[in-house]
Amino acid sequence: MKTRKWLTMATSVVLAASLMAGCGNNGNNNSAAGDASNSNNGSANTGASNGGTKELSGKLVIWTFFDQVKDMADQFEAKNPGVTVEVKMFPGDQYQTKLLTALQSGRDVPDIFDLERGYIGKFIDSKFLTDLSAMGGDDLVKDYIPYVQELGRSSDGKLRAISDHSSPGGFWYQKEIAKQYLGTDDPDKISEMVNSWDKIIDLGTKIAADSGGKEHLIQNAGDLFDIEAYNTQPWVKDGKLNIDPKWQTIFETQQKIRQGNVDAKLPFMSAGWGNALNDGSVVLTSMPAWAGFMIDNKDNKANGKYGVAKTPEGFYVGGTYRGIYDKSENKDLAYEFIKYIAGTEWQQHNLEKTGNMPGSGKVYESNLDTYTSTFFGDQNILKPYYESVKQMPAIKADKYGEDILSKWRKAAGDGITNNLSYEDVVKNFKKEVKNTFPEIKVD
Amino acid sequence: MGSKINKTHYGYYFIAPFFIGFAVFGLAPILYTLYLSFMKWDGFNDPVYVGVANYTRLLHDSFFYQTIWNTLIIWVLSNAPQLVLALLLALILNEKFIRGKHFFRAVYFFPHIITPVTLGVIFSLMFDWQTGSINKLLMNLGIVNDPVNWFNSPWWSRVIASAVICWQYFGFNMIVFIAGLQSIPSEVYEAAEMDGATKKQTALHITLPLLRPVFLFVFITSVIGGLQLFDAPLMLGDGPGNTSRTMVMYLYQTAFKNFDYSYGAAVAYGIFIVVMFFTAITAKASRLKD
Repeated sequence: MKTRKWLTMATSVVLAASLMAGCGNNGNNNSAAGDASNSNNGSANTGASNGGTKELSGKLVIWTFFDQVKDMADQFEAKNPGVTVEVKMFPGDQYQTKLLTALQSGRDVPDIFDLERGYIGKFIDSKFLTDLSAMGGDDLVKDYIPYVQELGRSSDGKLRAISDHSSPGGFWYQKEIAKQYLGTDDPDKISEMVNSWDKIIDLGTKIAADSGGKEHLIQNAGDLFDIEAYNTQPWVKDGKLNIDPKWQTIFETQQKIRQGNVDAKLPFMSAGWGNALNDGSVVLTSMPAWAGFMIDNKDNKANGKYGVAKTPEGFYVGGTYRGIYDKSENKDLAYEFIKYIAGTEWQQHNLEKTGNMPGSGKVYESNLDTYTSTFFGDQNILKPYYESVKQMPAIKADKYGEDILSKWRKAAGDGITNNLSYEDVVKNFKKEVKNTFPEIKVD
Repeated sequence: MGSKINKTHYGYYFIAPFFIGFAVFGLAPILYTLYLSFMKWDGFNDPVYVGVANYTRLLHDSFFYQTIWNTLIIWVLSNAPQLVLALLLALILNEKFIRGKHFFRAVYFFPHIITPVTLGVIFSLMFDWQTGSINKLLMNLGIVNDPVNWFNSPWWSRVIASAVICWQYFGFNMIVFIAGLQSIPSEVYEAAEMDGATKKQTALHITLPLLRPVFLFVFITSVIGGLQLFDAPLMLGDGPGNTSRTMVMYLYQTAFKNFDYSYGAAVAYGIFIVVMFFTAITAKASRLKD
C-alpha cells in the first residue's frame, strides 16, 4: 500500500513539474542573466567614470527588430575588447508589444532598446527612457540633421533616444527605362521634370496614354502620404484634432493622379510594388535610402542600373532610434555605446557598407563631394539627399501622429479609389479618430 | 465503511496538473482582463480606476456593433456552404463502391493543415487588385476588361474571407461527418433495404436523423469558432469602411495596435457576452427538438 501511495504522489508531482517546466526554465535563465550583468556592472562603471578613455568592460543587452544592429555590436566589440554586446532580434511588428510587456514587468529588460519612427511617439514620454541630456547627450547630436535629433526628444525637450542615420527618400528609377520614357537618365534633368505635382500629372498622363496603360510614371497616389506626412502640421494641437488645409490640396492632387492613370496603384512594399521596381513597369519609385534591399542585386547585376532624382518635396520614411532603459544597471556603458553610434566613425562605416545615410550633418559634409557607391555607379546620391533632409522641419514625435496619419491614409485612400468628395473623406476620418481616441477633441 | 467507492484524495493529484495549468494560463488572464476593463491603462503609466467608463463607451461604440454584424455575415457565408459541402462529400465518400475514397478524404483534409495566416496571405495575393492571379485569369479569359478591386467592395471582401474559412474547414467537418456515418449500425440500413427503401429515402429518413448528434457538435463548435474569427480575415484587411473587420480583429487593434489595453479588455468581455448569447441560442434550439 505504502509503495502505491508513494508512486501516486511521485507521478502527480512529476506531471505537475513537467507542466511548470516551461516557465521554470525561463525564470532561471532570467535570473542567471541578471546575475551576470550585475557582476559585470562594477567594472563597467569604473571604466566610464575614469573618463571613458580607459578600457571599457561589461556586458550590454540590446533589443531590436533590425538585423544590422549586429554589425553595430561587432564594431563596438572590436573597438572595446572587454565588452560583450548581446543583440536580441525580434523581427516583425510584434516587437513593440514584446518590448512594452518586458518594460512593464521590469524583468529580463534590455539595457538599450530600439524604437521605430512609427511608434517612438508612444514611448518617448514614458518613464522607461533615460534622460540622455542629463548624461551629456545634447553634445552628441549638436551636428545632427535637425529633424533626426528632434525626433529623439520628449515633449519637455530632453533627449531620450538617438538615431545613427537619417532616412531620406527620393525617386528611384532605372536608367534604361527613364531614357525610354523621359528621354534622359540624368538625375538633375529628371528632378527638374518632376519638381511639382502638376508636372508629374501631365507627364504621367502622357506616358500612360502613349504606352496604352502599360507603363506608369509613379507607383501609387498613396505615396503622397509618405512624402507629405512630415511636411504638414501635426495632427493634434492642444488636445484638438488639427487637419492641415494642405491635405485638401494633396487629396485633390492624388485624385488627379488616379484619374490620369499616372500611378500603377501598387501599395508601398507590396509584392507587386517590388516587381514593378525591378521590372521597370513604373518609371519613378519614391522610396527611402534604406529600401535598396528591395532591388534584386544578385551577382551585382543591378550595379549602375539605378539612379535617384528628387521628389517635389523632400521626405523621409522611418528611422530607428535607440534609448537606454531607465532602470538599467549598465547605464554608463550603454551611454558609451550610444556615443559610439552617434559618432562619425560608425556612421562613416555604415554609409560605406550599407549605403544608409548618416544622422550627423558632419558625416554628410565630409562625404558631400566624394561619395560614390558601386550600386549607383558615378551618381553622387548623398548630395541631393543632404539638401532635402536639411530642410525637413524638426517636429517632435507625439503619441497620436502616426496612428492618426494611418487613419487619414485609410480614409483618403478610400476617397481616391472611390472618387469621394473631400468632405466625405474628412467626415469618415473624423469618425475613426473620435472612436479610437475619445480624449481628442474633434469638431 | 458506508460506501465501497474509493474516496481518497489521490485522484486530485492526478487532475491537478490541468487545473494548475488552467489557473495560471486561463483563469488568471481572464480575471486580470476583468480587472483591466475597469481601469484606464495605456501600458506606459499605472492603471487608473475609471469604473464602468469602458463599458459605457463600448455600448455607444458603433464600430463594435459593426464588427458583430460583420462577424455574423462572414460566419453565415462561410458555414452554410461549408456544412452542405462537408455533408455531401461525406455521404459520397462513405459509399462502399467509390474508387479512391481514401485519397479524396486525405486531399479534402489538406487545407485544414495549413495555418490560417498562410491561407489569408495566399488569398490576399490571389485577389490582389493589380497583380492578383484571379484578375489576370479573368482578364485573359475576357470575362472582365478592367481588374476587379475585390477588397474595395464590402461584399466581395466578406465573401473572400468566408471562402478562406470555408475552404479551410470543410475537410475537417467532412471527416467528422464520415465518422458519424460510420457509427450508424449497418443493421438499420439492411432493414431499410429489406423493406424496399430507395437511396433517397434511406438518406432522408435514416442517415440524417441518426447524424443529429454529430450535427449538433459541428454546429456548436462552428458557432464558437466562427464568432472568434481572427487570423485569416486579419491578413485580408479591414475592407472598405471596415466592412470585413471581425470582433476579435477589433479587439486586437484596440489593445495591441493602439495600446488601449483597458478598452481592449472591455471589448473582450463584450465579445464574450456576444458569444455566450449565440451559444445559448444554439444550445436552446437543439434542446427544443428533443
